[in-house]
Amino acid sequence: MKDKKNLTTEINPEIRDILVEMGAEDIYKCYQCGKCTSACPWFQVEIYDYPVYKFSLETALGAVASSEDKKELEKEIDLIYRCVGCEACLDQCPHGISTPNILRAARRLLVDFGSYPEILKSTVQKIHNVGNPFGEHRENRADWAKGLNVPDYQQGMEYLYFPCCLPAYETRNQKIAQATVGILQKCKVSFGILGVKETCCGEVIRRIGAENIFEEVTKSNIKEFENSGVKKVLVTSPHCFTTFKNEYPDFGADFEVQHTTQYFSHLIDTGKLKIDKSFYKKVVYHDPCTLGRKNKIYEEPRNILKNILGLEFLEVENFNRNLSVCCGAGSGGLWLEWEKEERIVNVRLKQLMDTGADIIAVTCPYCLQMFEETLKSMDADIKVMDISEIIFECL
Amino acid sequence: MDIIVCIKRVPQTAEAEVSIDSTGKSIQKDRLTFDMNESDTYALEEAVLLKEKFEGNITVLSLGYPDTDDTLRIALAKGADNAIRIKAENFENPDAFQTAQILKSVIKTINFDIILTGCIATDDAYSQIGVTLAELLEIPHAALVIKVDANEQRTHVHRELEEGLIEHLDIKLPALLTILTGINEPRYASLIAIRRAAKKEIQQLGKENIELEDLVINSVIEELYVPPVTKQVEILTGSPSETATKLAGIVKEKGLI
Ligand code: SF4
Ligand code: SF4
Repeated sequence: MKDKKNLTTEINPEIRDILVEMGAEDIYKCYQCGKCTSACPWFQVEIYDYPVYKFSLETALGAVASSEDKKELEKEIDLIYRCVGCEACLDQCPHGISTPNILRAARRLLVDFGSYPEILKSTVQKIHNVGNPFGEHRENRADWAKGLNVPDYQQGMEYLYFPCCLPAYETRNQKIAQATVGILQKCKVSFGILGVKETCCGEVIRRIGAENIFEEVTKSNIKEFENSGVKKVLVTSPHCFTTFKNEYPDFGADFEVQHTTQYFSHLIDTGKLKIDKSFYKKVVYHDPCTLGRKNKIYEEPRNILKNILGLEFLEVENFNRNLSVCCGAGSGGLWLEWEKEERIVNVRLKQLMDTGADIIAVTCPYCLQMFEETLKSMDADIKVMDISEIIFECL
Repeated sequence: MDIIVCIKRVPQTAEAEVSIDSTGKSIQKDRLTFDMNESDTYALEEAVLLKEKFEGNITVLSLGYPDTDDTLRIALAKGADNAIRIKAENFENPDAFQTAQILKSVIKTINFDIILTGCIATDDAYSQIGVTLAELLEIPHAALVIKVDANEQRTHVHRELEEGLIEHLDIKLPALLTILTGINEPRYASLIAIRRAAKKEIQQLGKENIELEDLVINSVIEELYVPPVTKQVEILTGSPSETATKLAGIVKEKGLI
């Protein structure tokens, strides 16, 4: 699909001003070099032409999502919702421009006027209503922990373990949460879970643009943490990590956050986590955007894998660490359907499979879900495992 | 062509967990998201398509509380020209019949060729307002409309009946149509239209601004409850007339009528 804008678009400075107020202040810094476009994962989906460099200029002109033609407008809004928020553009931009934030400003306005994809509306509604994006019952939120002797969080415990939604409800993903508590128990860590009182961190609703509902969810989560006396939170998902660490403080949150890979790496380094068994497999590590580029956690997951006897550690040549390519699930991407040949996940899976690895190691529930789902329809001899699962297998 | 679209702001409950509030007469709304009733969005789009064809004016009308202004503004951004909110706070929980009477009092002061409503509201599922309103206004109507092919005097419509049966009607305007979901593809609002809509005034009509005859109340909600789970299930088999006879027998036997 090519983007060709016809001239039904008006220029409107008022829209620019509103979008700047909603977080698109970077637009003035853009000098149209185009580096962002070539860094964007959509650039690697050869069939699809994604004009990242244009978003700043279009927003500065107030000419974004502004066509009066119904079909043209659909295409413009489709472009706004293609961004997976991977920040590869920001990483390469000489002026530090966050295109996902610029697009999010437009999303916020569109959401207020019900003008965004129906499937994402339903995701927002479900998180608002039952605290998870799948519309699953609240009372089943801790089912993953049944029979594992996982206590409810109580004041005085060191960590709150917060698995979030995919590991709480989705069968394949539940194994990450189960492996994580297995490791914590083996290391005799003092921890508990919120269980049925846990609610989605809200990251995806903010990225979709439903800012008001995000604020409501955030405030209620902060209250829940405060009431429970939580001081340190251990998370499985980089999306919870970044939201709790970088965004909740704006709403008054005061707790420490650690990603499981940070904590497990520390436990290994201090001799508290002993990995006894060997793991004779070729393992390639996929840096999730939100853990890597966004939060610069590159070494801890590698440190864990390199400490496992027998494990042959592989990197995706060129496309690792800050140059890693998104799995396509961020910012609502997990819910959006694109034509088969237009999916970012295929690009990344090819890179990962070309390393000749037996296993793709991930540290994000979204990546796991995206890769697993896509591999189902491929004839590929490769497995996906979260690093927690690999550690747990070797205990 | 001047078009009136009646819309309703409703909680989105299709995929939600719903519970009864402490009054026992309504549902808890704090964790629900509100939006334009689904079939109303199709009615609005159909109005915009008609306006694109014939020019004219679209007025959206809603009986609702102040937050209904947000929904009316969405309608303005998606192509309506004027918006009117009738203040629900001036009326005590009107039922479908009262709502139709209130809408009629306002509509009779506006010029129109066609009135479009959704075919059902997803909250109370009454499905009555459109057709009752047409009767009160003494204009022809068609319910469950899946296709509209109008000229300035008449409209040809398709109605979707049971088992995929389609009824074709030719109706003289002015008329009222209740619109089914799926008749068209509702549009997004562009940011330019959103800005324009933000500046428009939404006319607010209180009881004092409306010439109302005495409202007839036909139904009052006494209690809402979740149907108890029962183990007793009896599936009636046979032809429609056999099963109807059996059902009538059971209803009589249990003293339900
Ligand atoms: S890389 Fe930065 S400066 Fe260059 S076009 Fe993209 S946003 Fe603009
Ligand atoms: S955040 Fe990622 S997907 Fe979005 S524009 Fe930037 S590079 Fe492309």
